[in-house]
Amino acid sequence: MKFFQYLLKIDRRIIYIVMGILVMLPLIKPLGLGVTSGPRATALFDAIDALPAGKTILISVDFDPSSMPELYPMLAGVMRHAFAKDLKVLLCGLWVTGVGLADKAVTEIPPEYGKKYGEDVVYLGWKAGVDAVILGMGENIKNVFPADYQGHPLDSLPMMREVQRLRDIPIAFAISAGTPGYQDWLLFAQSRYGMKVGAGLTAVSAADAYPYLQSGQLTGLLAGMKGGAEYEVMVQKKGYSRAYMPAVAAMDSQSLAHVVIMILVIVGNIAYFATRKRGA
Amino acid sequence: MKRSIPLAICLVMGVAMMIQFFIPHPISVGFYDLTTKWIRIVGAFALVLGTGSLILYHVDKLQRRRQGWYYSIVTLVAAAATAVIGLGWGVKTGSPLQDVIFSNLLVPLNASMFAILAFYMASAAYRAFRARTREAALLLVAAFIVMLGMVPVGRAIWGKLPELAEWVLSVPNMAAKRAILFGIALGAIATSLKVILGIERGWLGGGKQ
Repeated sequence: MKFFQYLLKIDRRIIYIVMGILVMLPLIKPLGLGVTSGPRATALFDAIDALPAGKTILISVDFDPSSMPELYPMLAGVMRHAFAKDLKVLLCGLWVTGVGLADKAVTEIPPEYGKKYGEDVVYLGWKAGVDAVILGMGENIKNVFPADYQGHPLDSLPMMREVQRLRDIPIAFAISAGTPGYQDWLLFAQSRYGMKVGAGLTAVSAADAYPYLQSGQLTGLLAGMKGGAEYEVMVQKKGYSRAYMPAVAAMDSQSLAHVVIMILVIVGNIAYFATRKRGA
Repeated sequence: MKRSIPLAICLVMGVAMMIQFFIPHPISVGFYDLTTKWIRIVGAFALVLGTGSLILYHVDKLQRRRQGWYYSIVTLVAAAATAVIGLGWGVKTGSPLQDVIFSNLLVPLNASMFAILAFYMASAAYRAFRARTREAALLLVAAFIVMLGMVPVGRAIWGKLPELAEWVLSVPNMAAKRAILFGIALGAIATSLKVILGIERGWLGGGKQ
């Protein structure tokens, strides 16, 4: 009886310590559980892989640093895939706090493939207005962003001569940690301008996107850390990148964290029912 | 007048934008292009208003020494410092705003706040997630299947677990989500119509007629 009562009242500090150790251990010494790619990540990968060289993809960076561990690997993975396929990448964002993250990706990833800013990649930055920004880009990108994030007029960037409006871009990949995000791209870019839209979402909001996937409105989905890891694995398998895979490395930690939570819930329930029966 | 003019503008613009959506004529497209510019300009003003509102709220809290007033000092100092650094040195790559404020302050602070969630979730799940009823037990089983099926260890335990998790997400979850989405869409249409027709006037705010 006392044992079950103890189990009902495990000090939260013990839980925090156990959780902390089990999350950190696999980061120091990976368990190597492996990641297999699911159909949703494969659909996005195939859609980008099928594009002919020279085409432009749009990436909307709609997340902030709090979601960076979960979503940044997707941004890096898709950019690496695009550059390896000689595609051009146009970035913008609906979240002002995502500006620095997109800038980091634009600074760090293109040089890995010898890509030049203005010719192979352009970052437009952030503008207030969300839906009006997307609708405006549908008519003419220069109307919304006369200059890029660095202040270069769009007319001076060779890549932007071929990309005037959203219809010139075959696919957008919206990486969203909430609202505004992929739903705005679906509502306006996909439905109004017929643009294919793929999404990269935090695991907690991925379930909301399933109806859009089944209806065909979404072309692929990367869900949480696992989605990022699946994409990293596909990019490496095809030989497009040899870079470190942060999402794959973190999947072992996530596995153990899930197991810890489940064990705690089971222990809590056993103790609850044992003490209730005896009490009754 | 104070209320009738905004209501009339709302009615005219609401109806005009609805009609515009179905007419691809150049005049219609031009009108649409113009209005999206207006929306972006109004959005920029909303940012100014939001900043002003934030400052006024925290100054007032500080003056009245309300509970937690010292946090308002942090907010005001951080807002002022960010504004001064942004206006003085710019916001581009390599600026102090990017390197110091964003990369070295905002990123670790935000990431730490979010990382703490894992610990709270573990503790809260242990204390609150009880199979007291049949529905709660069902929720518990579904949560276990999805939690395990979504991580590599699930496949290591049982090869079919990821497929089972996929089924939970693609069938029962999708049915519920779709119903919610339809409800939200119908609610949004009804609310939009009420706003356009002047039945719903909450957006006008308070004040005298």
